[in-house]
Amino acid sequence: MGLTLNHFLVLGALLFCIGLYGALAKRNAIAVLMGIEIMLNAVNITMVGFSFFNQVRPYSTFLTGQIFAIFIITVAAAEAAVALAMIIAIYRRRSTVDVGEIDMMKW
Amino acid sequence: MALYEYSWLILLAPLFAFAVIVFGTRFWDLLSRPRVAAATTHAEVHAVAEHGAGGETHAEHESDVELIETTGPHGEKIILENDEDPKVPQLTPGARWSGYLGVIIIALACLYSWLILLASAGALPGVPPLPPGGINLSAISYTWLQQSTASYVIDFRLNNLAIAMMVVVTTISLLVQFYSQGYMENSAGYARFFAYLSLFAFSMLMIVFAANFLVIFIGWELVGLSSYLLIGFWINKKAKPAEDRLSPASASIEAFIANRVGDVGFLIGIMILFVNTGTFNFADLAGPASNPFSVAHNFANNQALLTIAMILVFCGAIGKSAQIPLQVWLPPAMEGPTPVSALIHAATMVAAGVYMVAVTFPLFATAGPAAFGVVAWIGGITALFAATIGLVQRDFKRVLAFSTISQLGYMFVGLGVAGPLYGPGPGMFHLFTHAFFKALLFLGAGSVLYALHHAMHREVQDMRLMGGLAKYMPITAITWLIATLSISGFPFFAGFYSKDTIISLAFNQGDYALWAITLLTAGFTAFYMLRAYILAFGGKGGGFGGLWGGTYRGTGEPHESPITITLPLILLAIASIVAGYWTGFFSYIQPGAPNLDIPMILNDAVATPVGALSVILALAGFVWAYILYTRFELASIDAFVQSHAVLRALHRIVLNKFYVDEFYDLLIRYVVLGISHIEQAFDTYVVDGLVNGTARLVVTLGRDLRYIETGRVQTYMVGIFGGIVVLIIFVFVLVNFVK
Repeated sequence: MGLTLNHFLVLGALLFCIGLYGALAKRNAIAVLMGIEIMLNAVNITMVGFSFFNQVRPYSTFLTGQIFAIFIITVAAAEAAVALAMIIAIYRRRSTVDVGEIDMMKW
Repeated sequence: MALYEYSWLILLAPLFAFAVIVFGTRFWDLLSRPRVAAATTHAEVHAVAEHGAGGETHAEHESDVELIETTGPHGEKIILENDEDPKVPQLTPGARWSGYLGVIIIALACLYSWLILLASAGALPGVPPLPPGGINLSAISYTWLQQSTASYVIDFRLNNLAIAMMVVVTTISLLVQFYSQGYMENSAGYARFFAYLSLFAFSMLMIVFAANFLVIFIGWELVGLSSYLLIGFWINKKAKPAEDRLSPASASIEAFIANRVGDVGFLIGIMILFVNTGTFNFADLAGPASNPFSVAHNFANNQALLTIAMILVFCGAIGKSAQIPLQVWLPPAMEGPTPVSALIHAATMVAAGVYMVAVTFPLFATAGPAAFGVVAWIGGITALFAATIGLVQRDFKRVLAFSTISQLGYMFVGLGVAGPLYGPGPGMFHLFTHAFFKALLFLGAGSVLYALHHAMHREVQDMRLMGGLAKYMPITAITWLIATLSISGFPFFAGFYSKDTIISLAFNQGDYALWAITLLTAGFTAFYMLRAYILAFGGKGGGFGGLWGGTYRGTGEPHESPITITLPLILLAIASIVAGYWTGFFSYIQPGAPNLDIPMILNDAVATPVGALSVILALAGFVWAYILYTRFELASIDAFVQSHAVLRALHRIVLNKFYVDEFYDLLIRYVVLGISHIEQAFDTYVVDGLVNGTARLVVTLGRDLRYIETGRVQTYMVGIFGGIVVLIIFVFVLVNFVK
C-alpha cells in the first residue's frame, strides 16, 4: 500500500479546512494571514497530487501542477510580505492587529 | 392666359408687404432720423434717438389704462380715458411708410384681381375666360413631401369661385387699409397693425387659392393666427365689466380657442378623406367615379363615412364662421379695432367657412342630403338665433356682430338648399354682397366711434349715448342707411337679390321650415338694423319723421370723419347697391346655372304671395322699428319693457345671448375642469406614485441593506466561501437530481 491520489486530496482538503477556519475565526491578523497561507499550500498539494497521479493526459509529463505550485509559492511570498507590511502599518497607527476592530470601511 | 398665370403675384404681394413692413419700419426710421448737431447736450441726443428708434413699439403700455380727471368748459368734472394720451407717439416716418406700402401693394393686388374678374367674366376683350375647371398655378406649386403611397403637395389653382372670393378679399382689404390710415392714426403700434393686416390678407388669399385640403388648412390656421393678433391688437386695454366687454387679450384668446375646437373636426374630416382616397386635391376628390382618387370611387360602399367626414369638415366652417355652437367668439372679437372687425369679422375671415364649403361643394353633393341638411340647418338655426339676440343689443358693434353671425347662417342655408343646379352660387352670392354692405356697416360704425371718441374723449360703443348723429356726420349716416337697407333685403339693393334667392330656393326645394326661419330672420334683421340706425343716427324729433337727426344723448360735439374714413364708405355704399346686379353670378360660379332674373324677382315680390312675403316681412320689421324708435324715447321703451314681467324676463334672456356663454362657462368650469381634476389626480397618485414609489423602494432597500456592509474582512470572506458552498451545492443538485 503506497501513496495514492486520495492521500494527497484528503491531506489537501484537511489543510484547506484548517486554513479556512484560521482565516475566518482568528482575531489576530497575523493568524488570519497564516490561515490564508495554509489554504494556499493546501491547494498546492492538491495540484501537485493531481499532476503526479495523472495517467490519462500525456502532457502531465510537463509538470503543469508543479509549476503552478511554484508560482503560487512565489506569489504567496510576495503577498505575505505585503500583508505583513500592512499589518505593521495598521499596528503603528491603531495599536491593534485585531481584524474585528479594523472595520473602518463599513456603511 | 398670361393674365391668369401670374395671378400668384396677388397671393404673394401681401406676404411681401408683411415682410417689408416687419423689416423695413426700423430701417426707414433710422434713415429719416434727424441729424443731431454736435452742440446739443447729451440728454437731448438721447431723447431724439429714443423717439426715433423706439417710437413704434413705444408707449403701448401707456395706452388706455388709467383715467385722467379734468374739468370741462363749463366747470364740470370729466373723466378721460387716456388713450388720447400725449405720450402716445406721433407717427414715425417708418410707421407712416409702412402704412403707405401696405395700401399700395394691396391696391395693386386689388386692381389685378379686378382685371382677372373682368377677364374671366368675359368682359375684357382679347382675353378668353378661364376654362371651366380653372388653371393650376404651377409657378408656386411644389411637392412638399413625397412618400411611397402619398404625396403632400403645396398646390394652388385659380377658378371662377376663387376669383370671386379673391376680389372680395383684396377689395375689402384695400378699403380697410386705406381707412386705417385715418382710423389708427392715434394708436400705438401703427406699423405693426399694417403688418398684421398684410399677413391676414396673405393668409386669406392662401385659402382662396388653395387647390387642396393641405393648403387650405395652412391658410386656415394662418387666418386664425392673424385674427388672434388683430383682435388682441390693443393689448393693454382693460376689460369693461360694466359694459359686459372683455379685454382684447381675452377676446383674442377666446376667438383662437373657439376656432381650434372647430379645427379639430376639420382636421379629422380631412384625415378621413385622405386615408380613404390618398389625395388632398379638390379636383381629384370631386372627380367622377372613374377617377381612382375621387370620393365617388372610394366611398361608393361607405356613404355614411363620407357623410361623417363632410360633417366634420363642416365643423371647421362652424368654428371659422361662428355658427352654433361655436358662435360665442365673434361678439367678444369686436374688441379689436373696428377696421379689423370690418375686414375679419364681417367680410373675409368669417366668410372663409362659407368659401370652404363652396369649394368642397361637390364632395358634400356626393355625401348626399344628410350633409347638406346639417349645413342648412346649422345655418338656419344660427341665423334666427343670432338675429333674435341682435334685437336687443345696446352695443353698436355687437349688433353688427350678431347680424354677421345671422347673415353667415343665411349663406350656409344658401349652400345647403342650393341643389345641383345652382351649386355654391347662391351662398357665394350672398357672401359677395354681404362682404360689401357688412364692411360698410362696420366701417361706418368705426366712423361713428371715431367721431364720438373725439367728441367725448373716451371710447363709446353704447347706442344709448348716441342718437341724432345724422346731422353731425351726414356721409356716414347716408352710407350706413344704404347698408341697412341692403342687409335688410330692401328691394333694389344688393342684399335683396342675394337674400331673396336663398329664401326662394328654400321654398322651391320644399324646405318649408327653413323657409319660415329665413323669412322670420329677414324680418328680425330689418328690425334690428333700422333700430340700430335710428338709435345712432336718428331719433324722436329728427327730420324725415325721425330718420335724420334727433336728440344727441352723448356729450361734446361730434364731427364728420376725415376723407380717409369717408371715402371707403362711399365706395362701399356704391358696391352695396350694384353688387346685386351681377346677374351672371350663378353661372359664373357654376356653369349651367340660371342667371339672376331681376325683373322676375321684382315681379314675384309684387305678384306672388311667396315672393311678397319676404318683402312684406322686411317692411314690417322696418315699420315696427321705425314706429318704436322714432315715436318714443329710448328710456321710455326701456321703462315699458322693464315694467312687464314677461317682457323683462324675455329681454334679459335675449340680452344675455340665451345664456350660452354662461352655459359654456359652467360646462368648462365643471365638466372640462372636473375631468382635468380627475386626470390630475390620476397623474398625481398613479403616475407620480409609480415613479416616486420606485424611487422610494430603492432608497429604502439601500438604507436597510447597507448594514451587511460591516467593514470586517472576515465577514466578507464568509460571504465568499459561503457563496462558493451554495454554488457547489447548486451545481451538485443540478447535475445529479435534475434530469
